[in-house]
Parts: sequence; structure tokens; C-alpha cells
Amino acid sequence: MDQAATTTAYGFLTTVESPTHGLFGGYLLVDPAGRPLEFHCTAPVKVSRAQQILYGATLQGHLHGGQIGAALLAAGSLAPRVVLTDVESMLTVRAHTSLPVALVTAADPGTGLAQGSACVTGPTGDEAAALHAAIEPLAAAVDLREPFDRIRAAIDEAQRH
Amino acid sequence: MTAIRGTDSLRSWHAADLALPPVAVTRAIDPRLPSPATLRLPIEQAVPAVVRLPLLEAPPGVTSFSFGLPTAPPPPPRPRPVPSAASAGPAADDAPPQGSQKRTRVAAPRDVVKLSERFFFLLQPDLETILETSRLEFPRPPFPFQLDGMAFLLPRHGAVLADEMGLGKSMQAISSLRLLVRSGQARRVLVVCPKGLVSNWARELADWAPELVVATIEGEQGRRRWQWSLADVPVKLANYEVVVRDRDLVAELGLEFDLVVLDEAQRIKNRSSHTSQAVRALKRGRSWALTGTPVENRAEDLVSLFEFVAPGHLHDRMSPKALGAAAADHVLRRTKDKVLTDMPPRLNRDERIELSPEQRETYRLAEEEGVLRLSALGNEATIQNVFELVLRLKQICNFDTATGASAKLDCLEAELEEVQASGRKALVFSQWVETLGRLEKRLARFGALSYHGGMSTVARDEAIGRFRRDKRHSVLLLSYGAGAVGLNLQFSQYVFLFDRWWNPAIEDQAINRAHRIGAAGAVTVTRYLSAGTIEERIDEVLRTKRDLSDTILSQAEAPASSGLTADDLFALFKLAPPRRAAA
Repeated sequence: MDQAATTTAYGFLTTVESPTHGLFGGYLLVDPAGRPLEFHCTAPVKVSRAQQILYGATLQGHLHGGQIGAALLAAGSLAPRVVLTDVESMLTVRAHTSLPVALVTAADPGTGLAQGSACVTGPTGDEAAALHAAIEPLAAAVDLREPFDRIRAAIDEAQRH
Repeated sequence: MTAIRGTDSLRSWHAADLALPPVAVTRAIDPRLPSPATLRLPIEQAVPAVVRLPLLEAPPGVTSFSFGLPTAPPPPPRPRPVPSAASAGPAADDAPPQGSQKRTRVAAPRDVVKLSERFFFLLQPDLETILETSRLEFPRPPFPFQLDGMAFLLPRHGAVLADEMGLGKSMQAISSLRLLVRSGQARRVLVVCPKGLVSNWARELADWAPELVVATIEGEQGRRRWQWSLADVPVKLANYEVVVRDRDLVAELGLEFDLVVLDEAQRIKNRSSHTSQAVRALKRGRSWALTGTPVENRAEDLVSLFEFVAPGHLHDRMSPKALGAAAADHVLRRTKDKVLTDMPPRLNRDERIELSPEQRETYRLAEEEGVLRLSALGNEATIQNVFELVLRLKQICNFDTATGASAKLDCLEAELEEVQASGRKALVFSQWVETLGRLEKRLARFGALSYHGGMSTVARDEAIGRFRRDKRHSVLLLSYGAGAVGLNLQFSQYVFLFDRWWNPAIEDQAINRAHRIGAAGAVTVTRYLSAGTIEERIDEVLRTKRDLSDTILSQAEAPASSGLTADDLFALFKLAPPRRAAA
């Protein structure tokens, strides 16, 4: 059996804005203990003023989900049980993937699925329960917001390298 | 009018399209000119250029890194380290506060340049998470600075953990090697320590890495050959002498280690020694050196240490400042006052003691005679001659050779009465076994026990056990050579330096047998100095040497003279060093 297919993985997807280079995307796949399995990062994307005007309110969603997020998810060789992002506009990547994608924010009782200090907002209904079950093993091991810090540190390191 | 439908239409505009007649200009001004002509204005050239705005269509390039599939089993629900009463380490009261929000990250060392390798470290979870998810139990939760020490060791192939004595270097090394073994990064580890500390290390390994099988290399050669050959034992423990003796055997067996840990690594400060050569000959992937005194006497000590840790990284011609800068990424040194701000204080007392009349007279005669003899020798005087005189005078400061009178012992005896009355325990250090023997007799009423190199390992362990358990034994008498390293005697509240060692680092090691993590309260250190004697003069030299160590480890400028030179020795007696004729 293909080992990659049997490995339990979780995806963390985010973007990092660099004042000089533009927008980087990072995608970290970890095992249930939070250890890195794969890391993918994009070349920086710089948006011109004209593009900002042309895309208007749709820019963020298109840039994050349609461009960066879709490219990163396509690069992963492991299929994670869930993809977590801390950038709301990244949720538009759902249009480009069959993987469940959920938003992680600071815990706010009363909204989303509380997981330690994090709050996971994802699909609704039955899908929400499935998402909760999928995330539980990972949430027991790591703070769900912490891997995003690692992605940011790695992209920062890549810029200095 | 033609409708404008797009850019193509724009390009084909003509004046005719606008249904305008050609512009006629009558040349009425000059009748000699030809008949009026018709001019066409080049309207086509005024067509505006088209700007095409690139849309965000092509996806950005993606760079990928893979870190391999996990080898560790899936984690259990957040286990918390459970303090164990059986631990030989600090008491539960000394455990760090729980629930700390500090997260310790493992950073890539400076010499890791490949981005993929730097990412490997950067993208790991914090150390607290790794420990919690690795199903590792500890006798007590590590202190935050100890986690920092592990985060320092883990990514490094060459490292010197130079924490001040008592901060738990061995625990940090054991926990780190445990994680390496656990993650499959190390399968064969060798720990090398002084002979007297083998049982200590075996105990520490059992406490801090109970699941690791450890083979202690000892006994006759056939037995050692078998022990070295054990393939399924992840950790082997050997003393320096065994490593020297089995150097050829290790080579013959083709042994290679993923990690070699040297404890009390100052043992290899002499590069030409058999010990240094033997450990440097070990084939190894990672080299960690543990020492509280990376610089004992001279800056070259650190260079020698690096010949094991990172060969060629340092050299003798570097200035202390350059040495410090070059070594910085490989050396981690913390002192208790920096990391254990709530550790019980160490109270230092330099007690100047007037010699007894008998001692004073004997001392005066010995010094006068010795100095006269040195003066008479002139340029033939050797360092050995000076040493002999120094030793003789120091011995008189301890005991009058003729009468056995000792002002220091009188003072010590009085102080020990108070120690015993308060139910406390005291350590007394001397450089001479003979002095310890005299002290043991005179201090028998305090249940004095001895611990020195003249005793067997079994007898020494027994003495420590009795001193630890039995309240009737208030005093342990130790030689600097045997008792200054590796012992955990933090249940002692008093340390007496009956005489002074040549090196402040050794004195610190001795003091830190008691003043270390787990110390039950303030530790009072009393250093006896015989007033107006050679001991006071040596003390001045020791202070200078202490400055040198601080200088290199803080990358500051060093004093010009940093060791106990021949000039220093002669200066103790206000003598000029002999001038040798050039060969």
C-alpha cells in the first residue's frame, strides 16, 4: 500500500505579506504530533495598483484561494484530513479542492468549534461534526494556531537566505 | 457616423468615416502658386495605444520540501511529566512552575546553510510539544533553561554545553540524546566520563532515559570486547581510561557512533595526551562536550576542546575575542545567577586566619630558608624548586609540621559544632589526602567521613551513601581531585575550602557539589586563608585567572597574562625569574 496514502496528515495554509517582495504562500503538512511532513511555499506575488482596481473586492479571494492556495494544495503529495487556514479569504480555495478547509481563529466561546486556544470555523451541519472529529487528535497535541507561526518563520528565513 | 466597436475599429478610423469633406485650403495669398491643393491630415497617427492589463492568471511557482514520514508512534492525549520521589535530581519543591506559556523552539545552527535543512529545524513543533507527544516521562519537569539547553544540543553536530556546575548538564545531554534515539536520528551513542562518575552516569541515565538500554564498558578485555560489540544497545558508557585502552579494539571492531558525549570534557585540554587522541579518534557523527570549565587556565584549553567538537574551527593564534566570536554558536554557557534567580543564594566568606604561634614560627623559618635557597640557585632555580617551596608553605598553613598545631582546624572545629547542632551537613575540601586523614581523626565526633582518590570506588560510594542517609555523619572530607566533579551533594548547606586549589574553576566545581539545583537552602562557602602567607598571594593569582575565563566566554578583551606563568610563581616570593642563556 502506498505509505503516503496511509499517513495521517493535517494541512496548514497561510500567506505572509512582505513589504518588499509581495505576498508569499506557505503550506505545511504535519503528522498528528505536529511534526513536519512536507512544506511548500510560493514565489512572491506582487499585485499592481491597476490589478487592485480591476479586481476590486474580489482580489483577496482570487489571490489567496484561486492563485496561491490552489497552487500550494496542488503541490502537496499527501492528502490531509483537513486543511486549516488562518486567513479568511483563503477559504475561497474550496472552489479548487475537494479537501475540507476550515478557518482557525483565536478561541471565541460561542462560535465555531473550540479546540484549545483556537476556534475552528468550517463547514456546517454534518460536515462540521466530521471536521471536529478529524481535528481532535491534532488539537490534543498542538495549539492549532502555532503551526502558522512556523510557516511565517520559514518564509521569513527563505527571504533572508 | 461609423460606430466605434472596439480596438480594431479604432485602428481603421479615417476622416471619411466621420463623413467630413477633405479640408480645402485656398492659397489666395500668393497668386503665383499652383492651383489649390487638397491636404489630408494624418488622423490615423493619433489613434491611442492600447494598454493590456495582465490579469492574475498564471499560478505562482511553488517550491516544495519533504521531511520524511514519521517514525514515532502516534501521540497519546497530552501527558504531563509526573515528578517522581525516586529521582536523584532536585526535590519536587525545586521543580519549575507548571503551566508556563514559554515555548522553546529548536533553531538551526549557523553552520547549517542549506535551506531545506534549516526548514527541517524551523518547522518542528516547539520542544514542549515534542516532549509531550513523545510519550517521554521525566523524574521531574525540566526547567525552562534546561529546555533551552536541549534546544541548543539537538540540532548541533558539534556542541559545548558549558553551564556552571549544578545546572544539570548531564540531564540536558541525556534528555537530548534520548530524543535523538527516539526520533531515529541516533542509534549508537557513546558517553565517556571520568572513572569516578560512571556509576553516577548510569544512575542518571536510568532516571532520565529509563527506556534506553545502557551497557557500561568495564572489566577484563574479553568482556569489554563483547560489550563494545553489542549491536542492539543504543547507549554505551565508558570511562576515559577504557577509551584510551580500547582505542585499537574500537578501531578493529569498526565502531562508529552517531553521537559521542564527553563529560568533564576539560580532560582533553591537552591535545597531545593519549586521552585527547583516543576520543578524537572515535568515529562519530555528533560530538558534544560537557564541561563547566571550558577555559581552565589558558585560551588554548578551548581550542583543544574544539579539536573534538569541531576540528579546525579554532586555532591557537586567535585572540580571546576572536575565539569567543568563532566559538559562540557552538558553546552554550549559563550561570546560576542568570537562570536560577530564585535559587538559594551562595554566601561566600573569605576567612583570614592568623597562624598559631607555632605555625607562624615554622612558616617564617621555612620561607626564609626557601627564599635564600632559591636566591642562591640564581639562574639555576627551576619552577619545580618554587613549587616545592609553595607546597611546603601551604602545608604549614594547614598544620605545623612539628607540633600538629592548626589555627584553621581550630576554627573549623568550632564552626562544625554549630553545623552539627543545627542538624546541617558540611563538605570540607583539601588538596592533600594526608590533611584529610588528620582532619578525619580530629573531627571524629562529627562523624566525619572521607572521600578521595585513595579509596576504592565501592568505598567512596559507600561513604556518600552513609553521608546522605545517616544524620550522625555531619561532615564529608573530600579531596579536590576526587570530590570536585560529578557528585550531587545538594543536601549540604556548608562548604569549607580548608586550603586553596591552584585553579578557581576546580574550586567552583567543589563548591557546586552543594550549591546546585535542589539545594535545600542558602549554601555558605568558607574559604580559609592564612593571613600574611603564600595563600593570600596565590589568591591574587586565582582572581586573575577567574577573569580570563569570564573574558573568553563573554567575548571581551582578555588581560595580557592569563595563566600561572613561571614569572607569576617567582613573583610569589618577590624573586625575578631566572634568565637562561640563549642556546
